[in-house]
Formats: sequence, structure tokens, C-alpha cells
Amino acid sequence: MGINFAANKVLASIPYLLGGVWITLQITVLALALSTVLGILLSLLRVYGKGIFHRFSLIYSRLMRSLPLLVILFMLYFLGSEIIDIPAYWAIVLALAFHSAAYQSEIFRGAIQSISKGQMEAALALGMSKYQGIFSVILPQALRRAIPYWANEATIVLKDSSLAYALGVTELMRRGEYVSARTSQPMLTYIIVGLIYLILTYAFTKSMNRIEYKVRIPGLER
Amino acid sequence: MPKPILRIENLYKKFRDTEVLKGLSLTVYEGEVVVIIGPSGTGKSTLLRCINRLTEPDSGDIYLEEQKIEPGKSNFSQIRQQIGMVFQDFNLFNHLTAVQNVAIGPIKVKKMDKKKAYDLAMKELERVGMAEKAGNYPAELSGGQKQRVAIARALAMDPKIMLFDEPTSALDPELIGEVLEVMKDLANAGMTMMVVSHEMGFAREAADRIVFLEDGVVAEEGSPEKIFNNPERERTREFISKIARLNSGGDDRGLNNK
Repeated sequence: MGINFAANKVLASIPYLLGGVWITLQITVLALALSTVLGILLSLLRVYGKGIFHRFSLIYSRLMRSLPLLVILFMLYFLGSEIIDIPAYWAIVLALAFHSAAYQSEIFRGAIQSISKGQMEAALALGMSKYQGIFSVILPQALRRAIPYWANEATIVLKDSSLAYALGVTELMRRGEYVSARTSQPMLTYIIVGLIYLILTYAFTKSMNRIEYKVRIPGLER
Repeated sequence: MPKPILRIENLYKKFRDTEVLKGLSLTVYEGEVVVIIGPSGTGKSTLLRCINRLTEPDSGDIYLEEQKIEPGKSNFSQIRQQIGMVFQDFNLFNHLTAVQNVAIGPIKVKKMDKKKAYDLAMKELERVGMAEKAGNYPAELSGGQKQRVAIARALAMDPKIMLFDEPTSALDPELIGEVLEVMKDLANAGMTMMVVSHEMGFAREAADRIVFLEDGVVAEEGSPEKIFNNPERERTREFISKIARLNSGGDDRGLNNK
């Protein structure tokens, strides 16, 4: 059995690996959607919230950023299973979302605080409520500013979704492991798996750059 | 007897250990243009910011016509929208075009129909000579143009009084004239205005009353002729001659070109 034969077996598994990409993308998109909403909410509590709301956001962020993602994942999966049975697929989505939301709350907080105070004052002076000022004036500017940092965090979520292999979710990484075991060609297999992650990340970063350019505020240089 | 638009009674404000306003009282009447001058740190900006509660005073009452201005009251936003404010550094909304900047107040606060709000915004931009730049973003405008859009934005709310917080201090000298022209037009149109500014030319020509603020109270007030030519207090005289020297040649700034 020559090396070529084994290599061919790995190459023949590429469609199987691509099936894993689909699941990887599902997990990533769901986790990102959840974590972005949660992250923005937490950042608003952090900047504008008083008392317990402010503290909650602060403690949440500190706690989540102190725990390894794998620990959060296992806590959700195993502790969760004693109360309600969380399927592995949702355990990874939620773990990624809760974890990333903490980092994103810091990104959005920074972006909100970088908008000059005068913007909110002008909104209030017109008679807008604080709520209107946040959603009509501050967030449209802050979110634009957050795009490159958010995009970076999003690629981390994409790559971290590979931890799902630990729960047996058959996403890209897990399928790579199967292929590697079946073909006894771990190096070649993981090179291909790595290339696929690279292509995904590259494509995502490129499209985020395009979006950043498209929604930029004319004349405003950052 | 003219009708009082704004009544400030016994206003106090302290920042940490520094008492900025020390029982200031002042009444502004309908159609009146009051220019507030005074050394830095005497609370000129704080006074304006206390009126629409961007800064919360420690004590004292402020009335807009007969209504007491009190945050937390259900009509607070209603009162606030009747007080136009123009800031030193413009504070235009950076993500909106000039016309959007002017229309957003009526749309969000007055719930005005969008089409109507944009028509109104264009009218206000024309009034300040900025209609041509309606589609431009703030970052694409000069300082003077930004300030004119900011004035239009405040006017679109149809305010009872306009507050100007050093509206030309952040501008390059050659851009000051265009903003002062717009403010003079407003004054001539009968707008009630409170202006913190050391533009002597504007004060001389447009002000009905000059208020000299010192140590957190009104130290002296009167017509421009009186304050500029025959002030009662020595401190006022010193201050006037000091800014006149600093402003030398600036007396007529932007006011010759009519």
C-alpha cells in the first residue's frame, strides 16, 4: 500500500470534510448572532447602566474572560444535563456565545466610549430621550467603529467552534479526526483541515473589510 | 412690558470644591438678544448648560415662560425641545448628512412625517445658506459650515429661545464671519437668544443687553453702549479693554459684508 493510495483516500474524503464545514458554519453563525446581541446589550449596561445592571455586566465579563472556553463548554454540557438535557450541538453554540459575548461587550464598550460626549448632549438638547440618543446617534457610529475588532473576534469564534469535536459534534475538526484515523494520514488530513479554516477565515475577513468600507462615513478618517 | 421667555432664579452650581454659579438670577425677554461675557471659569457655559439641564444645578429655579424646568417631569423633553442649543464644537451627528442632521430632531422627537421633516430641514438649511451641502456629511464640511448646519438643526425644532455656547471659538478666523452673519439674521428675525461669546463686533451690533458675569453672579449688565463705553465697575472696564485688545481688528469681523 503506497503513500499515493493513502493520500488518495484522504483526498476522496474532502466532500465528507466539507459536510463538516456546513456544521462549523452553522455553529459559528448561530453563536455570533447570539453573542453579538448579548455583547451589545452587556456593553450598554456597562456604559449606561446604573447600580446592579452595571455590576452585572462587569462581573459577567470578568468571569467569562477568566474561564477557558472548554471549561464553559463542559459545564454547560454536563451540569446542564442534570437539569435539562442540552444537546451537544446547542452546548457548543451557547458556550461560544456566552464566552464571546464577554469579549464583544468589551469591544462595543470601547467603541461606545470612543464616541465624543457631545454627540449624546446634542441629542438630549434636541429633546431626544437617552434611549433615542443611544439607538439613533451613538450606536450607529459606535458599531461602525467596532467592525474591525468585531471581525477579529468573529474569526476567533469560527476557529473555537472546533472545540465542538470534544463533545462529538461532527463539524469540520471532528470529521478531520475520523478521516485521520481511517486513513492513518494525520498530517495530510490536518493540513487540509487547516487549509479549509484558513480559506474560511480569509473569505470572512475580506468580506468584513468590504462591509467596513461600504458603511464608512464619508470624509471621516479613522 | 415685554414677556419673559426665560427666568433664572438664584442658580447655584458647584463642581467638586469649586463653586461656579453663586446665586445667579437673570431674565431674558421675548425677542431679546443677551450676550454673556466674562472671564473664563465664571460659569458662562455652565449657566447655559444648566438651562436645558445638560448640567444639573445644585439649586435654583429656571422657568421657560411659565413652566418650571424640572428633569423627571413628563413634560421635560417637551420643554427641552423648545430650547435650541448651539455648541462650541458643533456636535453634529457624524453619521448623518447635513439634511439628516436637521431632520432627525423633528422625526424622532416631534414624530413628524419624514417627507415633511426633510422639507422643513431643507428650508432651515436654506435659511443658513447651506442648502447646497444638504447631502454632505459633517466631516466633509468646514467648521463654519458645520456650525451653520448645527444652527439649522436647532432651528428645526422651532425653539422659543436659542442658546449659543461660544459658537465661534473653535473656528478659524476666516470662518467666524459666516456664522456671525447667520446669528445676526436670526437676531433681526426676532429670535430670543442667549449668546456666550467674546465677539465684540457681534455683541455691539446684535445684542440688546450685555451681561458681564464674574464670580458666578451677574456683576454688571446693560446696553452695549453702556457696557462698552461707560461700564460702572472697574473690573468690567478692564475686561472689556482686554478682550478688545485681543480681538483687535476683530470688532468688525464678518459684519462689513452686507
